[in-house]
Amino acid sequence: MGTVVSIELADDRPDPELRELIDDVCTWLHEVDARFSTYKDDSEVSRLRRGELAFADFSPDMRHVLDACADLWRDTDGYFDAYVAGPLDPSGYVKGWSVEVASERLFAAGSRRHYINAGGDIRMRGTHPDGGPWRVGIRHPWEADKVSWVLAMTDGAVATSGTYERGDHVLDPRTGKPARGLRSVTVVGPDLALADAYATAALAMGEGGIAWLAKRAATGYDSAVVTDDGRAFSSTNLPASV
Amino acid sequence: MRRSTAAAVGTLTGAALIVGVRLSVTAPVVPVAAPPVVDLANSVPSAKPSATASKAAGSSKKKESASASASASASKKAPAGGFKDGVYKGKGAKNPYGTIQVQIRVEDGEVTAAEASYPTTGDSATINPPAIATLKQETLKAKTAKDVAAVSGATFTSKSYQESLQAALDSAKA
Repeated sequence: MGTVVSIELADDRPDPELRELIDDVCTWLHEVDARFSTYKDDSEVSRLRRGELAFADFSPDMRHVLDACADLWRDTDGYFDAYVAGPLDPSGYVKGWSVEVASERLFAAGSRRHYINAGGDIRMRGTHPDGGPWRVGIRHPWEADKVSWVLAMTDGAVATSGTYERGDHVLDPRTGKPARGLRSVTVVGPDLALADAYATAALAMGEGGIAWLAKRAATGYDSAVVTDDGRAFSSTNLPASV
Repeated sequence: MRRSTAAAVGTLTGAALIVGVRLSVTAPVVPVAAPPVVDLANSVPSAKPSATASKAAGSSKKKESASASASASASKKAPAGGFKDGVYKGKGAKNPYGTIQVQIRVEDGEVTAAEASYPTTGDSATINPPAIATLKQETLKAKTAKDVAAVSGATFTSKSYQESLQAALDSAKA
C-alpha cells in the first residue's frame, strides 16, 4: 500500500526497549497489510473477494472490520461504503483501525507517551518530550509547506481525508462519481478508526458533510473542513492551540 | 410553546420517526441554505410506499421522537393500516439539542412521511445556540509549521512523503 509510518516514543526508557516497541508496531502493521491489502493476491481480503473463503473461516480481525464497516455504513447514511467501488474494500476503515490498535499495543507494553502517524492519520498519547501537548499541524490544502490549523492534544486521534494528494479517490456512493465540494476534512476524536471513517464519509458527502460533521461534535468528534473554493470551517471545541 | 392536546393515540413504529432533524432557523454559518420549515399539511402527499425508508437519517439514535400522542388536524377515510389519514403533530420533546416537534402524514392508514422541526416562535430563545450543531466559518490560514511535532494531511504515498512536511519534521529529529 506504500503508506509511510512515523512513530515517536517519548517514554523515558532505554533505547533498546523503545526500539523493540517500534518493531512490535511494524510487525503489527505488516500483519494488517498481509491480511487486508487488496493489492496482495493471497491476502485474506483478496481471497474473500474471490469467494474462496467461507464465513466460518474469517479471522476475528476480519469479522471485526466487516462489522465496523457495516455500522459505519449505517451511521454515515451510506456515505462510508466498503463496497462503493464494487468488490469489498475495507481500507478506509483498516487504515485508522490498524494505527488505533498499534497505539493500544504500545500502551499495553507500557508506552504512555507516543504518537504514530500513518500516512496522515495520527494517534497520540500523553505528552510531547518537552512535557507539553503533542502539537499537530493540519496540512494546508493548497500549500504543501504550510499548516492551516495547529492542534494541541495529549490523548486522541486526528485523521484527514482530502483530494489534494491522491486526487479524486473518494467516490460519492450516490452517484458513483468522485465527490465534489470539500477539499480537506480533518476529524479529531478519541478513536482513530472512527475519525478516519468519518473524515472519508464527510468528504464523500460534499458540502452536506459540514452539517453532518457538526453533529458528530456532540459525540466527541470535532472537525476542521476546507471547501473546494477555499472556505474554512471548524467545530467550536476543536483543540486548536492559539 | 403550543401544547398539542392529546387526542388520537397511535404507536408509530420506531425508525420512521428517528429522522434527520432539519433546522427551521437558518444559521448564518451553514453554507447550504437551511430547508424551509416543513409543514406536511400543506405539502403534496408523497408516493407510497415509503413508510420507514424515506427520511431515515441513520446517524441519529436520539430517542427524542415524540410519543405518539398527537392532535389530529384532519381526519379522512377509514384506516387500512390502522391509522386515520391526516397530518399529526406530536408533543414537543426536549432533548440536548433543543425542543423538537415531530409531525407525520398518514395516507391510506399508513405513515408516509415524517418531519421534525424546531419552533420558530419566541420560544426559540429556549434553544441554546451551541446546542444547534454547526461548524463556524473562519479564514483559511497558512501558517508555517513552527514547533509542530507531526502533520495530519491527506494520505500521502511513499513518493510524496519525501516532499512532505512530515518528512521534514522526521529528518529534523533523526
